Amino acid sequence: MRRLPVYLVLDTSGSMSGEPIEAVKNGVQVLISTLRQDPYALETAFLSVITFDSSAKQMAPLTELSMFQMPEIHASGTTSLGEALTLLANKVDSEVTKTTAEVKGDWKPLVFLMTDGGPTDNWQKGLAEFKKRRFGLVVACAAGQGADTNVLKQITEVVVQLDTADSATIKAFFKWVSASVSTGSQKIEAGGVEVGGLSELPPPPPEVNIVV
Amino acid sequence: MAKTIKTTATDGSPVEFMDEIIGSGGMKDVYFSPDKSYVVAFFRDKQDFNAKNRLQDITGVYRERIFNAAGGGYWQDLYCWPTKIVEYNGKLGLVCPTYPKHFFFSTGSVNNDFLGIKGKEKEGKWYASAKNQNKFLAPEEKGDWFKYFQICIRISRAVKRLHAAGLAHSDLSYKNVLIDPTSGRAAIIDIDGLVVPGKYPPDVLGTPDFIAPEVIATKHLKTGDPARKLPSIATDRHALAVMVYMYLLYRHPLRGGKVHDMDAAKDEELSMGSKALFVEHPTDRTNRVKTNQLHPSQLPQGDTDKLPYRICGPYLQKMFDRAFIDGLHNPALRPTADEWEQTLLKTVDLMQPCQNPACWHKWFVFDNTAKPKCPFCGTEYKGILPILNLYSSRKAGTFTSDDYRLMVFNNQYLYQWHVNRNISPNERLTDEQKKPVGYFVFHNSKWLLINQRLNDLEDKTEGKKIPIGQAVELSEGKQILLSREEGGRLIIVQLANK
Repeated sequence: MRRLPVYLVLDTSGSMSGEPIEAVKNGVQVLISTLRQDPYALETAFLSVITFDSSAKQMAPLTELSMFQMPEIHASGTTSLGEALTLLANKVDSEVTKTTAEVKGDWKPLVFLMTDGGPTDNWQKGLAEFKKRRFGLVVACAAGQGADTNVLKQITEVVVQLDTADSATIKAFFKWVSASVSTGSQKIEAGGVEVGGLSELPPPPPEVNIVV
Repeated sequence: MAKTIKTTATDGSPVEFMDEIIGSGGMKDVYFSPDKSYVVAFFRDKQDFNAKNRLQDITGVYRERIFNAAGGGYWQDLYCWPTKIVEYNGKLGLVCPTYPKHFFFSTGSVNNDFLGIKGKEKEGKWYASAKNQNKFLAPEEKGDWFKYFQICIRISRAVKRLHAAGLAHSDLSYKNVLIDPTSGRAAIIDIDGLVVPGKYPPDVLGTPDFIAPEVIATKHLKTGDPARKLPSIATDRHALAVMVYMYLLYRHPLRGGKVHDMDAAKDEELSMGSKALFVEHPTDRTNRVKTNQLHPSQLPQGDTDKLPYRICGPYLQKMFDRAFIDGLHNPALRPTADEWEQTLLKTVDLMQPCQNPACWHKWFVFDNTAKPKCPFCGTEYKGILPILNLYSSRKAGTFTSDDYRLMVFNNQYLYQWHVNRNISPNERLTDEQKKPVGYFVFHNSKWLLINQRLNDLEDKTEGKKIPIGQAVELSEGKQILLSREEGGRLIIVQLANK
């Protein structure tokens, strides 16, 4: 059975502390509980959380939705986006099953990246690694006005901007993520219609602006 | 508390809804009426003239043709059919009855509903998946195998009625059919996409798992191209066959181990489209399920060697062959919804309760062997098992086989449709015809048929009339005449497991 790998790549730098990080934690919780009520997602979706601050860490390895436990996350330090992209690329190599002549592999992973600032490390190196892998949908979310959308636009063409990084908008974003994964886990089984562009996504919540 | 909005439907009747979205689908946002007896579903996008016209026909003439005909009330339970159109703030909406209570989970998932699905809709996908069945659903929600046959019969019947009216559903899937395995009920929802060949073209290709191979194989062509295949009655037949297979066997008939392309999306397109191959094809074994590649939660249902489609009985085996071998790439050869209904009904008469009280499926289809056993739990049937072979007369004095068998179990009933070949157990039965005419009991080591309402019942072997209230013993080779009327049947008894 093909699995649908979903990677949440979350900024946990110091600027996220307080309301934003609490909203992110809450958002992931809501995401999990919503997806658990979806029989398609339950069958196929696997979830991983990667955080990045002064360094990048995989807080939860790719785990079946029903077994997934929310990791403890805290906000402090700088914004090592490049390291996060490198780590993501490595994890995709080790966790996602490739198709061979004998075995049906996994679907291309979905990636939801959220950040509120600009990278403080050598992000181009990470971007190069990231670009060598094949992904399904990649959504980058700029939380608040401090995020560098120009960097995000080099990662993916789907960049959404939250005007403020408060709990209401972050919650709305995660609701949208869950709808995307739900649609993805259904659509993906369609005649090869894999989630590709923004047209495949559910309509974004009103608080989210799409950067084009 | 959300504000109540009052408006008027296009037919002039009042419509009210509360200004708070209770759910969103692919194209519509749904609102409750204040008393929650109906919902109003508004299309997010503007609907063109053609779409509006179609919805008018669906809520109008098509609905009336089905529901206002004689016996139309029967269909109320099998569809959730939109009744009215409203226009509000420039958006077009449909008024639909609320789904009945039995289509919402009353217990939900295991471990005190750890998924939090209690009160949610019983979408078919929960049940058609071995993993969801084995790991998540609470035992109270699962129902037994007999109920899944009843569900398939009701779905086939509802599809048959649409097709008889010249309508194609065009997006039949476990997403658009609600089922209740605790009672065996089913209802088709999302009827607003109905396709009328030559009049209203389809606006969706269908739902993954259910799209016919020819639709997938030609989806790269332009809509006007004559070679392009779009949803139709023929593709509904494919979707129905897939649904029956999935509800009875909890796996997909085309999802096997064969890899067609290294790219997942391309592989998917080929294995569901031009290269589609039945996983249980008797001679071409290349798409067999690789059991070692399945998730443990998909077993045992995913293992086609352990639970081959043969367990659904000889009649259904032939139907699956026609749907997934002969008709897979040749739409004209696919069985019709009417044939599915008939075959499922015949198969129900081959079912036996499993004698193992712990068996989850609780029922199995007689496998035509001298030593029958339940394929799910492996329990062998203990005791003598009477099989009644049904014959009917087309010419005075001679009886020919109807290729129809009835398995007997304790306290099973005999009905009019067993007695007379011209009566079918469908929506046209009168209340009088729904009453049993006799029943079977195992009494003092003998199998007996007790006559309740048959005037002509006669033991032909002994040459003896059996009056109402009397019994006839079922012994090997016994011939029993059930009715002297036109289409009346004779049964010949066989005893298995002697």
